[in-house]
Amino acid sequence: MNEASIIGLLEATVSFGALLYLAALGEMIAEKSGILNLGVEGMMAMGAVSGYVVALQTNNPWVALAAAVVAGALIGSIHGFFTVVLGAEQVVSGLSLTILGVGLAAYLGRGSVGRPPGAELVPVDWGLLSDIPWAGPVLFTQSPFVYMAVVAGCLSWFILWRTRLGLAVRAAGESASTTDAAGHSVAVIRMGAVAIGGGLAGAAGAYLTLSLTPQWQEGIVAGRGWIAVALVIFGAWRPGRVALGALLFGLTLALKTRLQTFGVEFSPILLSMLPYVLTVGVLVVISVRSRKRPSPAPAALGVAYRREER
Amino acid sequence: MSRLVLVRREQVLRGGQPLAFGIGLMVALVVGVFLLLGSGHDPLRIYERMFEASMGSPKAWSVTLNRAVPLGLAGLAVAVAGSMGLWNIGAEGQIMAGAMGAAWVARVGGDWPALMLIAAMLGAAIVGGALLALGPAVARAHIGVNEIITTLMLNEVAIRLLQWLIHGWWKDPESQNFPLASMLADNAKLPTLFERAHVGVVLAALMIAIFGVAASRTAWGYELRVAGSAGATARYAGISLERKILTVLVLSGGVAGFAGGIELSGNSDRITENLSNGFGFAGIIVAALALMRPSGVAAVAVLFGAVQIGGQSIQTLGVSSSVSTVLQALILFGAIAAGVLSRYKVELDVADAQPLRPTRRESDTTP
Repeated sequence: MNEASIIGLLEATVSFGALLYLAALGEMIAEKSGILNLGVEGMMAMGAVSGYVVALQTNNPWVALAAAVVAGALIGSIHGFFTVVLGAEQVVSGLSLTILGVGLAAYLGRGSVGRPPGAELVPVDWGLLSDIPWAGPVLFTQSPFVYMAVVAGCLSWFILWRTRLGLAVRAAGESASTTDAAGHSVAVIRMGAVAIGGGLAGAAGAYLTLSLTPQWQEGIVAGRGWIAVALVIFGAWRPGRVALGALLFGLTLALKTRLQTFGVEFSPILLSMLPYVLTVGVLVVISVRSRKRPSPAPAALGVAYRREER
Repeated sequence: MSRLVLVRREQVLRGGQPLAFGIGLMVALVVGVFLLLGSGHDPLRIYERMFEASMGSPKAWSVTLNRAVPLGLAGLAVAVAGSMGLWNIGAEGQIMAGAMGAAWVARVGGDWPALMLIAAMLGAAIVGGALLALGPAVARAHIGVNEIITTLMLNEVAIRLLQWLIHGWWKDPESQNFPLASMLADNAKLPTLFERAHVGVVLAALMIAIFGVAASRTAWGYELRVAGSAGATARYAGISLERKILTVLVLSGGVAGFAGGIELSGNSDRITENLSNGFGFAGIIVAALALMRPSGVAAVAVLFGAVQIGGQSIQTLGVSSSVSTVLQALILFGAIAAGVLSRYKVELDVADAQPLRPTRRESDTTP
């Protein structure tokens, strides 16, 4: 184990962490408003394919990124329409969205398999900062997506906890009827939160195909949407803790391909169970503690709101 | 200002759910026309082929029924939990756990007589699925841990456990560098019923029938529904919620595990990580479309099996398998929408444009 391989590990930890963080932030925002969206895997697939296909057409990575965000938001809005407007079961609608997104992405991308990328978002050069030993390669030569994830995390913290709009979003997730009574439209808030969540998942998908592994193939999301769902719980619905969790889960993804080079005799398959096992553990701890103090989960999470049924 | 609102119907539309499925199917077929035209295929010819391959002959029916078995059992597993208002999202992993249990027995008892070996395999499958559900069941019953997330997470754990076994202990020495488990012996395979259909079709139908009777005709089933819809009432009536939650989730896992055992013994040469190709997730949809009733699960599973088998068949005509996946998703969304509209009607709401002040009764606030 030498210095270069440790730096490589940390660099990969940060970039995988940012990938998970983007998607998890989106899911967190939706859940904060009261909507559980199990369609992250599908929304990421749509973002990934849209980014790649548009990059092939335009050769412009930023246009491709915008397309991925819009695609994620649009397909996420399907879940919004079904759960908010129609009040359908969130679990069923979300899982259907995963099937739809993964299938539609495969359909749209069938002509792009194996084609060289039309455009990539290349790592940012921060000049002097990038030359600092350790911190330079790990933090300051990353893909633009990493810095976008940091900005998105700070913004979502600020908006959710420091503005009236954020208060309304969190209120919709705690008690929809109170929010309604206070003069806010629960439907508009929740639809908006789900669409923004979809946009962030779309961006995470584009991170895959525009930067991390610039190519398109079916199944490129590879279960990382489910890790994002787990992360929200692991991070107790707080942007800061979700970020720490993203780095930890990112480390397990980064270690998976490196265990052997480090000479560690441990199955990478068993290692990849860790995020899920840890999340179950955290959920148990939260539940045990919530006998004494309130649970961090939004109280109205998963509950449809219909005004006439209060 | 006026707006459209959903108002609960006084009576649910009769035949609403079959109608919902029909509408979902129509939506899917219409959108499918555009998808097929978009990839340069003749929609009518494709649809004809799908029908022929799934329902056009006894052989087609036998393949469809084989597919309906895991879908129906997974749907039953979800419905058993759903009858009490619980969500088992872990059928996918429990199917894997069941298959692992059955595969382990097949390794140990390779030289047993067929009947004994298969019975032991299916028994181990039930135990495997139940074991994977045990953790979430205990956590939900005694600590109140949300079962949606725990069962969902264990899916990923179960599939990795299987991958680990296939890469290590269970790796066939003759498979050289490929991570493949050993082939099943002939006495570990379910007998054939007709054409391609295996005896698992009968076993699954029996299982669904037993739960159907238990849910609608016994005190146990009645208590479940009471416990699910009104916890406090159930407590006053002396029903132990903890025990009910525990038994229902473990049973649910056992049923899903049974599906894994049958799929292994009836439909596979060896255990692979693709054994449950999303059956557990499809089961959630099957159960939802059947309104969590075992009686509806069988019918929905056969129809859904036909769509899946039809979708597979058109790949030989050069149609991407993604088209069939999208069709399935569209059936779901169409059916969800139609299901909502069978319980609610759309009305133009003129009076209630201004938000109400908090003078009304509130039921979804926590004190």
